[in-house]
Amino acid sequence: MTPSAAPPVAPALSLAPTFDLERVVASIDSMAAQRPVAAQIVSVANSEEASAKELSRMLGADVALAGRVMKLANSAFYGMRGRVTSLQFAVTVVGFATVRTMATVALTDLEDESRLPEDFWQVSTSLALAASALAPRFAERPQDALCLGLLAQLGVALLHHNDPVGYADLWTQERSCAGRRHAEVQRYGISALRLTSVALEQWAFPAGMVAPLKMVDDPTSFQGALLRSAFELAGRITDADHEEIPIERVSCGQLKQRDVLPVLDQVRGDAEELRRALLG
Amino acid sequence: MAARTRVADEHQASPEVVAAVFHKVTVSDAMAVMVVEPVGGDLHVSWSNGMAGRLLGYAAEDLRALSFEQLLPSLSAGELRLLLRRERAVTMTLPVRCASGVLLDCSVSTVPAPAGRRWTVRLAATANETERALRATADAHERRFSTLTERSPVPTLLSEQGLRLAHVNDAFCALVDLQAEQLLGTGWLGTVHPDDLDAVIESAAAVLGDGGEDRDGEARVRLVRADGTERTTVIRFAHLFTPGVGAGFVGTIEDITERLAFESRLAHQANHDPLTGLPNRTLLAEHVACRFTPGGSRLACIFLDLDNFKVVNDSLGHAAGDQLLVELADRLRAAVRPGDLVARFGGDEFVVVCTDVTEDGAVALAERIGEALRRPVTLGGVELRPAASVGVTVQTAEHAAAEELIRDCDIAMYQAKAAGKGRITVLDGEARAQARDKLRLVAELREAIEQRAITLMYQPIFSTEDGTVAAVESLARWQHPVRGAISPATFVPLAEESGLVAGLGLLVLDETCRQLAEWDRELGTSAPARANVNVSALQLDGKLTGHVESALLRHALDPCRLSIELTESALMKDPGAARQVLQQLRELGVQVSIDDFGTGYSSLAYLRHLPVDCLKVDRSFVAELADGHPEITSAVIALARSLGLCTVAEGVETREQAQELTRLGATYLQGFSLAAPLTGRDATAWFARQHVARPAVGALA
Repeated sequence: MTPSAAPPVAPALSLAPTFDLERVVASIDSMAAQRPVAAQIVSVANSEEASAKELSRMLGADVALAGRVMKLANSAFYGMRGRVTSLQFAVTVVGFATVRTMATVALTDLEDESRLPEDFWQVSTSLALAASALAPRFAERPQDALCLGLLAQLGVALLHHNDPVGYADLWTQERSCAGRRHAEVQRYGISALRLTSVALEQWAFPAGMVAPLKMVDDPTSFQGALLRSAFELAGRITDADHEEIPIERVSCGQLKQRDVLPVLDQVRGDAEELRRALLG
Repeated sequence: MAARTRVADEHQASPEVVAAVFHKVTVSDAMAVMVVEPVGGDLHVSWSNGMAGRLLGYAAEDLRALSFEQLLPSLSAGELRLLLRRERAVTMTLPVRCASGVLLDCSVSTVPAPAGRRWTVRLAATANETERALRATADAHERRFSTLTERSPVPTLLSEQGLRLAHVNDAFCALVDLQAEQLLGTGWLGTVHPDDLDAVIESAAAVLGDGGEDRDGEARVRLVRADGTERTTVIRFAHLFTPGVGAGFVGTIEDITERLAFESRLAHQANHDPLTGLPNRTLLAEHVACRFTPGGSRLACIFLDLDNFKVVNDSLGHAAGDQLLVELADRLRAAVRPGDLVARFGGDEFVVVCTDVTEDGAVALAERIGEALRRPVTLGGVELRPAASVGVTVQTAEHAAAEELIRDCDIAMYQAKAAGKGRITVLDGEARAQARDKLRLVAELREAIEQRAITLMYQPIFSTEDGTVAAVESLARWQHPVRGAISPATFVPLAEESGLVAGLGLLVLDETCRQLAEWDRELGTSAPARANVNVSALQLDGKLTGHVESALLRHALDPCRLSIELTESALMKDPGAARQVLQQLRELGVQVSIDDFGTGYSSLAYLRHLPVDCLKVDRSFVAELADGHPEITSAVIALARSLGLCTVAEGVETREQAQELTRLGATYLQGFSLAAPLTGRDATAWFARQHVARPAVGALA
């Protein structure tokens, strides 16, 4: 997890000759123009004044997104067993932050798995569920942690969109989080997580959601500890070759090994369901 | 300069306006502003206002000496361009290094100048003192709430959105014996019994949905613990709205398992017979009522009354009787079909309720039950073969209410018993009609007694010694408004069967005393010396003497004016108790007669010890005199005389009978030909005439 522990960058992952970070960052703006409803929801959903009524009214203008929210609300993940019959109720059930997250997913075209690295959503859902399950131990809201986990790899998608072949190689060759971030900085001048934070900050996501993305590489930072721990658990679940790091270390001592076993079981059980609910 | 001109042009602002705005920014205490531009390949602060210096603790000159990168240690050199974009404004929350080295969290907003080589940077500390204080207060509230919830013995759930839990307290974890991590999210729904899950979701959805803040949800839910055992709970949901997040709920759980078990025990005790464990009469009535649909035809009741159960109780004791009831209850349970109800109706009575059965099916079941009951059972070393009289009723169109069904099978059972025990009787239409007619008659009899519509006739009793009237016998009469005169032979047994005999007896006793008192007033010494009142066997209890005494007192009569007549069969039911009551009556000063003597099975030994004054020779024996058979009458009179008792011969119809009875030594005579029963008013006139006329018996003799 620490940069010093990162493996050396493979020669094949040298700097992408055509990669233009400014262009990638600029593309974040242009996305809003393509999905204006999603962009509007992203911009208002976190407001203190946001209401289920207002959000559902906005969602109504994007049938595809509204359908996904309804489907998610009625999924086993939220336990409502098909009782959610109105969009407003759906917004209530999944929560405003999740609506915003889904709007962000739509905005950044994360729904199209063909344009993402292999097992992107498997990692993202595991990361999100692990963060959600561990959140109370870090005095964080599970729902916020879930959204952070779902969107943490937004930067991965952006990098992959702009350098599909190069990023796919990087993703395949570097399995550890720290290794990937090291390779990303080497190749693109910025890590995917940092890019996520830039995008989320640009879309005015709350600072509390952005800060962990920035702090995740500082092993002494408590603010980054939840996300670090969630990455560690997601790695254990999704990567058979994952090299475990003691959870006590990544969690700033908040977790013990025995704490994570039930979480691992829970995440394994729910991840696929959440992926299906999110992507349809 | 060129750039400045372009700005002025775009905003249509004059140089004076631009100067005014610049001045405002320069002296502002509200915002820290800097201008950053590349100097020699590095980014430097080329200008800053006073507030920027104060916020970061630098003098303006020192700020200008710094590389901009040094102020933002969290950004790598490459990442600085993410903040300083040429084409758009950017805002980031970043730690900014102050002169003291302290990192201050700031919202850093950058706006590119039109030329794209210079940026205006605005710094705003993310939290001022007031905000920090407010946050501290909020955090303190949050901690207090957390502590309260955490340590509360009330199991509590907290959802911030939908059904996904954000928090469970220790009490809930203990209730279901799982760790919090296993319950968060939707994990807790796994502890809800599958059959109750819909109720939970409905209740939670009610508080989560539109208008949920005005509603409370409540559901009775079984929670399945880790070891598979169940706890029955009531979960109460209350709406919880978190601004900017959405709607959730607070759920509190009340474990009502113990309370329900206690209530269930109480309910079971209230609805079940403690001896056999069978449902009692109350539950039977509820059970039948639940299954009774007017017009239905496949609901049946089977009424069983054990034959000769009293013999078992009397001979082997009540413990053996109880043992027999328990054994037979078990056999009944085993003999009926699944779903049939077996109830203990009363002492040795049981009722089986069957649904979806024909009459033939009900009879077949009754036969099967009868066979099961007849299997030998050994009690106290004695082998018994229990048997029951069984009444069967299947619902017909005539049954308007559930209780009619039970009543009809009760009637059928009585018919079976009357037909000779150990039988099965199905109540047919005619029997039902008779039974209902009898029921109506009972109701009318009750009304007649209450309204004193039962009247008395008085038949004079003559002394054989001098032909004078020694007494009268009170005879109850019922003139039914529709059915006409109803014989005492009909309505007295009816009163005995239906629990009305006590009321009837009191009526006769009181009316007789009243009439005697009236005669005393109207006739003086011509009034009858005594009145004989018949008492049913059912009245022969500890209360009888008290009733007699109070009637005498009420009408100011001497006890010797009354004679109580009891049948010998009534006395022989419980001779010991009867003797005690008769003794009390005698001590009171009331005479006691044995009615219909010779028709029952009196023990002469008992008779000797009974405190009686008189024997009444039954009319059947008197009638035999005319056939030349005076033997029994003679024997009874002789017996009475030898015991020092007087005799009254009933049913004297002819002069010859009167003469013969006088000859045989009868003390008194009573009969239609001597004097017919009279109403009270007629009797008054009759006695007045007697006072001046010669004795009737003398006339007959």
